[in-house]
Amino acid sequence: MIEFTLNGEVVKTDDDPNTPLLWVVRDTFKLKGSKFGCGAGLCGACTMHLDGQAVRTCILPVSQVAGKNITTIEGLGTPDNMHPLQTAWVEQSVPQCGYCQSGQIMSAAALLENNPNPSAEEVERYMAGNICRCGCYKRIKGAIMSVAEGAELAYDATATTEVNS
Amino acid sequence: MSTVNVSRRNFLKSSTIVGGGLVMGFSLTGCGGTRLLPVEAIEGAYTANAFIQITPENLVRFYCPRDEMGQGVTTGLGTTIAEELDVNPQSLDIVFAGVHSDYKNPAFGVQGTGGSTAMGAHYYPLRQAGAAVRDLILQAASQDLGIEKSQLSTDDSYVIANGQRLPYSQFIATAQTLTAPDLETVQLKDKADFKYIGKEAPRLDGMQKATGTAVFGIDVDLPNMYHAVVRRSPVPDAALLSFDKSAVESMPGVTDILEISGGVAVVAEKYWQAKQAAEKLKVEWSEVELSSIDQAQIKADFKEAMDKEDGPKTGELGDLDAGFESASSVVESEYWAPYLAHAAMEPMNAVIRIENGQVDLWSGTQGPIGAEGLVARTTGIDSENIRIHTTYLGGGFGRRGTLTHIQEVAEIAHLTDKKTVQLVWSREDDIRNGFYRPASLMKIKAGVDDKGEITAWQAKRVGGNITPETLENILPAMIPGMPQALINAAVGASNMVFNNWSVDHSSIEGLYEDYYVPNQEVSHVTVDHGVPLTFLRSVGHSYTAFAKESMMDELAEKAGVDPVQFRLQHAKENPRLNGVIKVAGELIKQMKPAAGHHLGMAAHHSFESSVAQIAEVSVEGGRISVHKMTCIVDCGLAVTPDVVKAQMESSIMYGLTAVLHGELNVDGGAIKESNFHDYPILRMNEAPEVEVVIIDSDQDPTGVGEPGMPPVAPAVANAVYAATGQRLRSLPLKLTS
Repeated sequence: MIEFTLNGEVVKTDDDPNTPLLWVVRDTFKLKGSKFGCGAGLCGACTMHLDGQAVRTCILPVSQVAGKNITTIEGLGTPDNMHPLQTAWVEQSVPQCGYCQSGQIMSAAALLENNPNPSAEEVERYMAGNICRCGCYKRIKGAIMSVAEGAELAYDATATTEVNS
Repeated sequence: MSTVNVSRRNFLKSSTIVGGGLVMGFSLTGCGGTRLLPVEAIEGAYTANAFIQITPENLVRFYCPRDEMGQGVTTGLGTTIAEELDVNPQSLDIVFAGVHSDYKNPAFGVQGTGGSTAMGAHYYPLRQAGAAVRDLILQAASQDLGIEKSQLSTDDSYVIANGQRLPYSQFIATAQTLTAPDLETVQLKDKADFKYIGKEAPRLDGMQKATGTAVFGIDVDLPNMYHAVVRRSPVPDAALLSFDKSAVESMPGVTDILEISGGVAVVAEKYWQAKQAAEKLKVEWSEVELSSIDQAQIKADFKEAMDKEDGPKTGELGDLDAGFESASSVVESEYWAPYLAHAAMEPMNAVIRIENGQVDLWSGTQGPIGAEGLVARTTGIDSENIRIHTTYLGGGFGRRGTLTHIQEVAEIAHLTDKKTVQLVWSREDDIRNGFYRPASLMKIKAGVDDKGEITAWQAKRVGGNITPETLENILPAMIPGMPQALINAAVGASNMVFNNWSVDHSSIEGLYEDYYVPNQEVSHVTVDHGVPLTFLRSVGHSYTAFAKESMMDELAEKAGVDPVQFRLQHAKENPRLNGVIKVAGELIKQMKPAAGHHLGMAAHHSFESSVAQIAEVSVEGGRISVHKMTCIVDCGLAVTPDVVKAQMESSIMYGLTAVLHGELNVDGGAIKESNFHDYPILRMNEAPEVEVVIIDSDQDPTGVGEPGMPPVAPAVANAVYAATGQRLRSLPLKLTS
């Protein structure tokens, strides 16, 4: 039994410890916002936060997150209470097919958490780990820069509340 | 979502039982057959036609007939119908339509999405449908309020009567008793009165896609759902000889291991269990002709056919020999474009549930009608008892028009006692077991006279054709009852036709049509080693534009004419193309590229739209960097201008992947590449700045999803030539330092 914190809630799973976190979150905990793109840590569609750092969860065994804090796109913001990056994404019509965007936003949120005012080059370098086949790069960069320059970040990736499960 | 089956003959046409939860449809087109509209039974809602429902809460639901793969079709078509219905598109509740003849693509005559057709094909039908519903609401309001219809107006889903705002929903009970106006004659808005069409507004699916709440096929999760992974032959069409399940069947969660037509399916309680087991499965495949073929052989065979074989001709004009005789110089060049995979971010997948003789299938496809046909063919269950639930598509690019994964999941559920099954392909499956953009070898020989006029244009293409393969994939889906032998015969016949007598237009489209040349000819030699082929964004144009527009620069240089001027003087008969080239020329004059940066341009007409692009590149240490792409597009009226911009940006990035990286190689009949490490996709650090200019037009809208891609490769190649003097004629572009 592996226990970890998922979007502020303590959860337990008896999935095989080698199962990548992505599949535990999607199939066992039914949070479908994080996507499967490559299964090899190459595209970033599966990006979540592990104690506030962006990680590729399609290659991260769930055993590695025991006792850790995991945040997914669902924990970053909701339609009623969006993270500033999500608001920027909507206002600037960033997504096209949208499949990679959860991962893009999770990477961007981790970037801004660590470096609230990145240069354009820093954004490009950091976000190069996330593929967008629709090629929304120009708008992704623009949305990140607009949030970096403007809004305050209310989101705390490390915040945890204990919930009995 | 529930779908109600009510025998339509029990009701009067266009009637609805409000309050009873029963909804029945009527056919807008008059050819709806006997099948009922697959719309949701919403308590008290008014189903005005196949596209519009209005709820008692005054929520307006739009059943979108086309599939959303990122191209912005929900925004485009939603805005179109909302304009005439007079509802703010931002407040529409948009759902994807089930299968019904009312949701046919008018451009194809079947329910499918592709070919950059959606806006052009639906622009009038959806406006008419929206206008008809607004008219019904106004008629009903006039009757209910006792006010002349001419004294009433509307604003964003409200009727305005004597200064009062009354919701449309107040009049739906009366509206359903009235006769809808004739669609052909219903009054449409004057363009000057448009509130939403042509205006800047955020796309309608942004919030769902930014919050992870948009549902893609892979996100569908049902009670008691099993998970399947399929092992397929690395070499297309190799037969399964044997498989040894002994090491696998006792693995945790594994429930079934079975042969299906595409390979061996492993079913388990969870995806990861199925995936682990499938990888361990020992499988033997037969050797087929393709098994001995590698990339060098394919290229050599193409080259030999180019040099030694003649094929059917098309596009003949004038006298080619006379044309070459009157030329002062002749240029002859060969161009190569490799096999490409679409590599949509969401791997192929589908969920099926077979229960009490009823099938439900969830998937994001470009052809819901084809999905229905394949399920019917595979399960033997009648189409009337099959419901297709279309989700968002995590990218399409033509790949999701071929639905072997639907057949696979249907076979698994049909052949086992696991009746609710999700099938998910891996990225490796996607790259190695896909259907590809055909590789092409092209030659253009052209003559130019001392006045700078092209006197002769002789083009030839060698490669496989997608039409026979498309027939092979689409016939079983479209005609579920068609015996395999007949399908094989039809495919064989089409192969014979294209090998001997006629040119498959999609193989050569774009190679010769754009510019006027008095003497021209296109020929085609089919060489097909059996690598599976299909449409990829912009289809034939994706490679022909590279050859044609590279040759235009080569000829312009030979003639000593400015490349923009050279194109303009040959595009006089193609006003749209001429227009975008002219604007490109003006923009080039104003550009001041940084030191070491060089410009190249290209233009191409496809899907009824014209696009010109200017690439700004630099070359350092043999590495090509694209700094900026400027794109001028004429697609008629831009219904949703920001979506048009987004599609140009997207096509440019998609095109740049092909220009800088895209290449699949065949090794022992199998595709050598497997994932994003060896089939790299353009990333943000390589992505150029993009500027899009949309030509102001009040002509009817034309294609947007694809026409931005063809000019990318030649524009970059022409800029690389300007930078280095090296004329690169092979994709992806690689400099020999």
